Amino acid sequence: MKLGSYEIKLEKRVALRGWEATAISTFAILFALVVFSFVFVQAGVDPLTGYKEIFSFAFLSSFGLPLTINRFIFLLLCTYAFIIPMRAGLWNIGMAGQLYAGMLSAFAVAFAFGGKGSQGLTLSPGFVIPLMIVAAIVGSAASGAIAGFLKGKFNTNEIVVTMMINFITFWVVARMIKEGGLFMGSSGEGEGFKLSEYLFAPLIKGIPFTVFIALGLGVLLWFLFAKTKLGYQIKVYGKNPIAAKYAGISPSKIPVMVFSLGGLIAGLAGYHYFAAVPGVYKITKNYGEFGDLAFYGIICGLISQGNPLAAIPIALLFGGLTNGGRFAQGKLKLGFGIDYALLGVLMITLVAFQFFYRYKIVFVKTEKEK
Amino acid sequence: MWEFFVRSLDASTIFTIAALSELLGQRSGILNVGIEGVMLFGATLGFMVAQSTGSYLLGFLAGIVIGGLIGLLHGFFSITLGSDQVVNGMGIWILGFGLTAYIGYPYTGPLGMERIPDIFGLSPFFFVGVALIVIAWFVLSKTSLGLKIRSVGENPSVAEVSGINVTRTRYLSVITSGMMMGFAGAIYSLDYNPVWSNNFLMGWGFIALALVFFSMWNPYILLAGSILFGTLWQLSLNPQLVLPGLMSRYIWRTVPFIITVGVLMLMSTKWFRTRWGAAKPDALGLPYIKS
Repeated sequence: MKLGSYEIKLEKRVALRGWEATAISTFAILFALVVFSFVFVQAGVDPLTGYKEIFSFAFLSSFGLPLTINRFIFLLLCTYAFIIPMRAGLWNIGMAGQLYAGMLSAFAVAFAFGGKGSQGLTLSPGFVIPLMIVAAIVGSAASGAIAGFLKGKFNTNEIVVTMMINFITFWVVARMIKEGGLFMGSSGEGEGFKLSEYLFAPLIKGIPFTVFIALGLGVLLWFLFAKTKLGYQIKVYGKNPIAAKYAGISPSKIPVMVFSLGGLIAGLAGYHYFAAVPGVYKITKNYGEFGDLAFYGIICGLISQGNPLAAIPIALLFGGLTNGGRFAQGKLKLGFGIDYALLGVLMITLVAFQFFYRYKIVFVKTEKEK
Repeated sequence: MWEFFVRSLDASTIFTIAALSELLGQRSGILNVGIEGVMLFGATLGFMVAQSTGSYLLGFLAGIVIGGLIGLLHGFFSITLGSDQVVNGMGIWILGFGLTAYIGYPYTGPLGMERIPDIFGLSPFFFVGVALIVIAWFVLSKTSLGLKIRSVGENPSVAEVSGINVTRTRYLSVITSGMMMGFAGAIYSLDYNPVWSNNFLMGWGFIALALVFFSMWNPYILLAGSILFGTLWQLSLNPQLVLPGLMSRYIWRTVPFIITVGVLMLMSTKWFRTRWGAAKPDALGLPYIKS
């Protein structure tokens, strides 16, 4: 295409530099937010007012900020659960199932040691709380490992398998907390039992300690990908599994490894939201919504291009947007599901912008014809 | 028991049409993992239009049109831009899942229209589904259009050299496929279970995707698989009809998903692949860039 004395051409990128990825990702998010303003307009709300409400509640109000931080931790963990398999070229869309598995395992420990409601603990919380975390990790890693094992051993499609496990675990949770299930709460209204106060996870200045786990994992994963042998093997497998095999990297080991690690982190997200967030401390009736929220992990993972440190600000932004969105929905009388709509718009914008991660637009000055 | 059987066939109709649409796209080399999202769009828009206009016909048309448009979008990303088809499909699924939750919410509840009349107790769409299977088989294996579709799915460069327009053939397949996905969704929300609630498909699209892998890309095996899964699904919803008091109803709901994983695993074993020679299209999921 020609524009004046310039010719516009598409050129395939040889490598994507850090700043280029950042610029494209930022632009993609801004573009999605502009597109999303149509939802406000359609609902008869000035988009600027809408966004102002969302951001001021999410980041500036003393009531909204802690909620944003809790969501941020949850989303960041879900993002890491997605990123690790993504680095190996595999799709983990089973964060929901894995976080339910982690949540169930943690509550099973609490239940076993008498942490249900006002019952007395049989052991000290200093022992039971770490045990809950370990159980969450083990349970969810096992859940993730299924997809990894099937992928590595039989090359079974991991997208279908992880999605099936999401549904399976969703119904297992229902079995446990409803209609006389073991974890049913005393009120019997379709939610789980409340944790005994002793088992509330420690707070640091009102923020669950899990924030340090999430941020620490970011650094750890960065190190894993950049500096370790395993990180290198994951990358090689992700680029070309067949070449990886010839390089001596076991094609059955890597999928199990990345899915177990991913699952493990999703389990921490399950522990975080249901056992560490103030005011929750139980398997809530709407646990399915948190499974849905986990899909933001996919978007964060794709926007950050699998970079665990870049994922931090993105998860914080989305934590704020979803949290503020729910608030604005009530305040501005928008329809239900504004956070779901945003999820959809962000995702499809990002898919469209993928193109720019691979191609760049160049302007070439054409010589004037004499 | 008869009623259970009939309901199972009704359920299998949706699996049949949805999975057949995916099969068609995959035969041309385009993988759409976002089938559940397209079905949600078809189901939700079909429901909204039917309820507002009082016309089933317009409802189904809306479902088919939106499905076709989403198919076109998938085609644009996957064929024209040549982006990763799995990412595009995921995008379409999440777009459908997110946006329909928002736009459909005011319509929560029953459709409130007279039910579509049945034929011998069966939904008329069951017969449509069987007819579509026969048509798809005929077109794919007996006509020159079918040969074109299959060849762009197996080896697009060779197809191009032999004078087939790869881009046009793939667009045609992916749009038709989207229209059928939207139609399948609309059958769910207008005929099978005419009540709108948030994210009500709960995995139908993903099971349909798995069914295509089970079918080894053969429409007749796909029909058999759909009937099997329709029955399983119905059993998981109403276990008391067949095996009362055996397990919690929630555990029954997990059964179709567990069996899907089991069958999918069996189908991907080396033994199965060498014994039955799965006819997976060679160029499935690969973008084609004309050189």
